[in-house]
Amino acid sequence: MASPCVVLVDTNDAFLGAEVGEIVKTEALRIEAKFSRYRPSVVTHINETAGDALQVDDETADLIDYSMECYTLSEGLFDVTSGALRGAWKFDGSGRVPSEDQVRDALRHVGWSRVTWERPILRLQEGMEIDFGGIGKEYAVDRALALAAAHTRAPVLVNLGGDLRVSGPRQDATPWTIAIEDVDRVGSATGILELLSGALATSGDTHRFVRRPGVRYGHVLNPTTGWPIADAPRSVTVHAATCTEAGLLAKLALLQGARAEEFLKLEKVRAWCVR
Amino acid sequence: MQLKPRVAAPTPGVRRALAAAAAGLLAGGQAEAQEAPEDAPATTVDSALLVYHEVNRVQAIEPEVNVSHKLNEDSTFNLGITADSLTGATPLGAVPSTLPQTYVRPYKVIPLGTPVTVTSASGGSTVVLVPPPTGAKTQTLAASTIVPSNTYPLDRGFYDRRVAGHLGWEQALTQNLKLDGGVAYSKEHDYRSESAHIGLAQDLNGHNTTLSAAINYESDLSFPIGGTPTPLTQMNGDWKGRNATLHEIDAVVGITQVMSRRWLATLSYSYSDEHGYQTDPYKIISVVDPVSGQPNAQLYESRPDWRRKQSLFFDNKIHLARDVISASVRGFKDDWGIKSLTADLRYRWQIVSDFYLEPHLRYYTQGAADFFHYYLVSGEAVPQYASADTRLAKFHAQTYGMKFGVALNEISELNLRLEYYDQHGNGSPAGAIGQLQQQNLFPDLKAYTVLLGYTFAF
Amino acid sequence: MKNSCRLYSPKRLTEGLDAPTRPAAVRHLGALFIGIAVFGSGGCTVLGAKPWEHDLLAERAMQVSAYPIEAGMDDHIYFSKEASSGGRSFAGGGCGCN
Repeated sequence: MASPCVVLVDTNDAFLGAEVGEIVKTEALRIEAKFSRYRPSVVTHINETAGDALQVDDETADLIDYSMECYTLSEGLFDVTSGALRGAWKFDGSGRVPSEDQVRDALRHVGWSRVTWERPILRLQEGMEIDFGGIGKEYAVDRALALAAAHTRAPVLVNLGGDLRVSGPRQDATPWTIAIEDVDRVGSATGILELLSGALATSGDTHRFVRRPGVRYGHVLNPTTGWPIADAPRSVTVHAATCTEAGLLAKLALLQGARAEEFLKLEKVRAWCVR
Repeated sequence: MQLKPRVAAPTPGVRRALAAAAAGLLAGGQAEAQEAPEDAPATTVDSALLVYHEVNRVQAIEPEVNVSHKLNEDSTFNLGITADSLTGATPLGAVPSTLPQTYVRPYKVIPLGTPVTVTSASGGSTVVLVPPPTGAKTQTLAASTIVPSNTYPLDRGFYDRRVAGHLGWEQALTQNLKLDGGVAYSKEHDYRSESAHIGLAQDLNGHNTTLSAAINYESDLSFPIGGTPTPLTQMNGDWKGRNATLHEIDAVVGITQVMSRRWLATLSYSYSDEHGYQTDPYKIISVVDPVSGQPNAQLYESRPDWRRKQSLFFDNKIHLARDVISASVRGFKDDWGIKSLTADLRYRWQIVSDFYLEPHLRYYTQGAADFFHYYLVSGEAVPQYASADTRLAKFHAQTYGMKFGVALNEISELNLRLEYYDQHGNGSPAGAIGQLQQQNLFPDLKAYTVLLGYTFAF
Repeated sequence: MKNSCRLYSPKRLTEGLDAPTRPAAVRHLGALFIGIAVFGSGGCTVLGAKPWEHDLLAERAMQVSAYPIEAGMDDHIYFSKEASSGGRSFAGGGCGCN
């Protein structure tokens, strides 16, 4: 994770603060290492073994089950095998756009329907890859917070690069004050949020995109078509009970493109979008 | 560059399942493969009490209960029961006169030789004994009413108690095809009706279009006291006709279309074919003197054996920001020569989230049946079919109503509906003879309705 | 930068959702009497709403059979006072009162 991580503990006990910080850091690093796409990890092992069957551990199996559920509920929009589309879409700032054939080729290695999953045995087709990047960070927030909350009753806030969750209100039932960063001016706040419970997750499309006349294609790709979502909000921030849920809803909203706000309103999600 | 514009969207309600899946993941156990349990209640109970009051005419009280139970995602069954009690006065069909008139109809049939205590039948009529014909084993008690002069003739002894029930089933055959069917039964002291229906509904275009077709078969038996009177014969208290049957087949085809997120429209066409006894055994038609207009005979009415009806119905529901408009139009036509038009408008004013007010306006206009006559003229040939029942006459009617609805919680509602119905026909038709010119041959019908409803689910 | 969702700055954030859109009541009422031709045009994608737009249609007030007892009683009353019948559905049981 390249974004800053913060742990806040509402207590007078400095030692407790340090302990909780350590617990959160250990858990976050553990998850990052286990599901990293770059360094040797469970995920890289799965991707290298694509084409053959392999057995995964319980935690990975849980994440795969969850990914499959999200795939079904989103009717294919959320797909952890969509990473292979990077072969076609480079987003290197050149504004170059792949041809239909290139996209079609990349799509042949994408799609959860091509995966054989019978817990605990997983089998990807050759050339496919999985990537838990879309759910890993939020999962880490929830897991880390659970460990912290098991360790102390003091109110805790865990923030891993903007995805955060609180264990409850601060002492005296006052809310946590969260500053929302301005999308265009890093470092300056565009709004203040007062959080009593639950989690916040943000999904964004700001930095890498391709502009065509009248349409802005972000780097979020639709795994069923292989093409980017048009007119998605630049960022969607969602409030939900858990960070995992908030993160998924934010991504699903982004995947609705121009209809992001309607989707959020229909699902009665507390959220806000920036366009 | 080509961009596929359509993005498949998750169906609404995804949130609950996602929350459950996330909870499953974080519990450290296997993420839930199935959706969160449906917390919508499976049984809905719909109940209502109707109080109906016509000014100077009929009053009725009618309670009704319907229960609908969802057995599983695909099947629902429903059961309903209703009872009604009608009392009061109903038009005879005869014309008023400057002289008092006497009317008689069968009241009770008793075995011959039973001692009879003459009491007053309900509604101020007197019981008279009708001399039985030779060899009869029963004799009829008739109720005799005197109608004062210059009064519109009403049968004051009218009463009826009816009990009815229905049973229905709805089954989803596929994601887009639904089958439904049901049976119904209704019984009152002189009428019995049984019916069965079956229908199909097919969804298309992602549940934006629904095509539906249904067929209903009804079989009725009419068994007034003493049997049915012989049509176009002189009124008497001793009917000899047999019980009479009526069979009806109805078919409806319709299309319901989601016009936009806020507008749902329905268009349906129905066709009915009735064969059998359609005459009202209690209604008469006066035969008047061609000069004075005084009634000198009362004949039982006569209606054709066949009736084919058609109607076209167009209904719209439009959802504004919070309020809902319902507007519908129905055109009707049958082979008795009747044509009618109905226009109905409601505006549901959602004042706050759990209280609404719904004003209602209905306008109805109909043309007369071919065989409707205010009266017959003696000396002229008696037509094959004739009825003076003003329900078959030309008239128009307005309904003004207001409904108050309170949502007691997410799944239950209490509502109260007050309505006023005003039916107005031509009481002074052109060409009225003699004394009939000063009579009102079609008094207005005014009725008040109070309907209290309570729906809850569990 | 256009904010299509409301972001309060730097006030307290309570709801993050939009105000409801203006109803298109006038536009819809004007289209109320469009002829029968708009119906039944097979794979018509001009009319209709996306699945996630079926929210309002699910409300009780928008159901064709929203208040069945009330509708049934109305039908019965009008059937006994007027010569017409039918339209919405079957009466479901005769009463000899017409």
